[in-house]
Amino acid sequence: MTTSTSPGEISGKPGLLFRGAEADIVAGTWQGMQAVYKVRKPLTYRLPLLDESIRRQRTIREAEMIHLSRRAGVPTPYLYEVDVPGSTIVMEYIGGTRLRDMVGSMGDDAARGAFREFGAAAARLHSAGIVHGDLTTANVIVRGGALVFIDFGLSFRATRLEDQAVDLRLIKETLTGAHPGASRLALDALFEGYSKVSGTAKFRAVQRQLRSIERRGRYARVA
Amino acid sequence: MKRYIAGVESTAHTFSVSVVSSEGEILSNAKSVYKPPEGAGIHPFEASQSHISSAPAVLTQALEGSGVGLGDLSAVAYARGPGLGPCLRVGAVVARTLASSLGVPLVPVNHAVGHIELGCLLTKTVDPVVLLVSGGHTMIIAYAGGRWRILGESLDLTLGQLLDQFGRHHGLASPCGRAIEEAASSSRNYLRLPYAVKGNDVSFSGLLTASKQLLDGGESFSDVSYSIQETAFAMVTEVTERALAFTGKREVMIVGGVAANIRLSQMMSTMSARHSARLTATPLEYSGDCGAQIAWTGWLAYKSGVSVPVAESGVTQSWRLDNVDIAWRD
Repeated sequence: MTTSTSPGEISGKPGLLFRGAEADIVAGTWQGMQAVYKVRKPLTYRLPLLDESIRRQRTIREAEMIHLSRRAGVPTPYLYEVDVPGSTIVMEYIGGTRLRDMVGSMGDDAARGAFREFGAAAARLHSAGIVHGDLTTANVIVRGGALVFIDFGLSFRATRLEDQAVDLRLIKETLTGAHPGASRLALDALFEGYSKVSGTAKFRAVQRQLRSIERRGRYARVA
Repeated sequence: MKRYIAGVESTAHTFSVSVVSSEGEILSNAKSVYKPPEGAGIHPFEASQSHISSAPAVLTQALEGSGVGLGDLSAVAYARGPGLGPCLRVGAVVARTLASSLGVPLVPVNHAVGHIELGCLLTKTVDPVVLLVSGGHTMIIAYAGGRWRILGESLDLTLGQLLDQFGRHHGLASPCGRAIEEAASSSRNYLRLPYAVKGNDVSFSGLLTASKQLLDGGESFSDVSYSIQETAFAMVTEVTERALAFTGKREVMIVGGVAANIRLSQMMSTMSARHSARLTATPLEYSGDCGAQIAWTGWLAYKSGVSVPVAESGVTQSWRLDNVDIAWRD
């Protein structure tokens, strides 16, 4: 990758697209192309020592995971540049709408299709040894008919059933937490899509692990 | 016309009775807190014995101190759960007796929902992302579609347990939060500890083990206290920030016993400012377990039609707050 700008500097007219929990997502250009800059600004509530190492580690790992995920057949933005000292990743701009903002207005069939694809992508990541770590509906952009996965900031390489189940648990938590109305249909479709890619045996194993994690939760009663 | 309700809290170490009015005035909030021996945690049976012996005095103090006549109570609320069985049963017996003798309805309340609703009342918070941190809970919660929803939580220990178990390892008695906070305030030496954020959830078990090992390896209690606070509080602040960014809400509220920690509120305040959200914290007197949280939430539930016949008024040790239908919010 070539460096066209000094570390952390955003070329083009920068526009804050989104202030996330750990990074600002800024629109700009890179080599004349429309681009997104993901800038991990220092979080001042954290000790600088702790904060720097977390930002550095997450920047490197995220770039790696975005790349590996695409190789595993899951659409992700193309990487343009990784600036480790500036904890900034420059990547392809994905035009579209976050799945989170569409769920409420989607018809049942469209929702079923989208969540089936969501589940299938999760299974593809898992079988490639990747755990996304932040599988929420806010981190999926619907572009045309396809789902593009973003925000690999908490992703890591793992093949443990436990980590894969935690991944699915977050989707479940998000669906029941943020989209209570659509959660049953969405979850069923999601699991269906997952199972189709992973195979039934593997899917059952992840489900068992998921239930075991839920039972470990405080005051949980799991049917 | 103003109405009155009594609430009984006894989920863990605190036995407390409070009387509140339908206008949200807290007229009394008497309590007695069971203190375990040095180096030990709450023994459920011992705690329940302590509650039994302090119940008559606490009840009398709360009822007489409120200035409300017994005949003016519209209902009696009790903490049905979650909590320690033997402790919960003491509160349930007291509440049942009071309700039956007055001939008024008995209202079951979820203790965690109680923390949140009392916090909202006292800080005039309307629709917050809630960080509930105590010995019994570590959860990030927001209201949506008829229930308080859990957006993230600890996968193992609660923040209170982390601090207590670490403190007890050093020979302190639970609750150890204040002693750890004091010890931490004299250190600026950060020792590296595992930082475990998994999605919207946190995990403290590795952090506890590593912290104990540092102590055993000869590091000072004050340095390890500082490091455990910096690490654990940054973790819960980060997941709260994630929930805030995700939901787009404008208010953040800290409730539960650990809300009393100044370093935690500093971090939460810095984080909230970044998102232009208003941070509120329940006043110290009411941030820990107390009867007022049960009485006030009991009132909200009672006025929306919730009550339970004495014969069915059991306790529920495991009762997640996202299983409670909230009829009084929309």
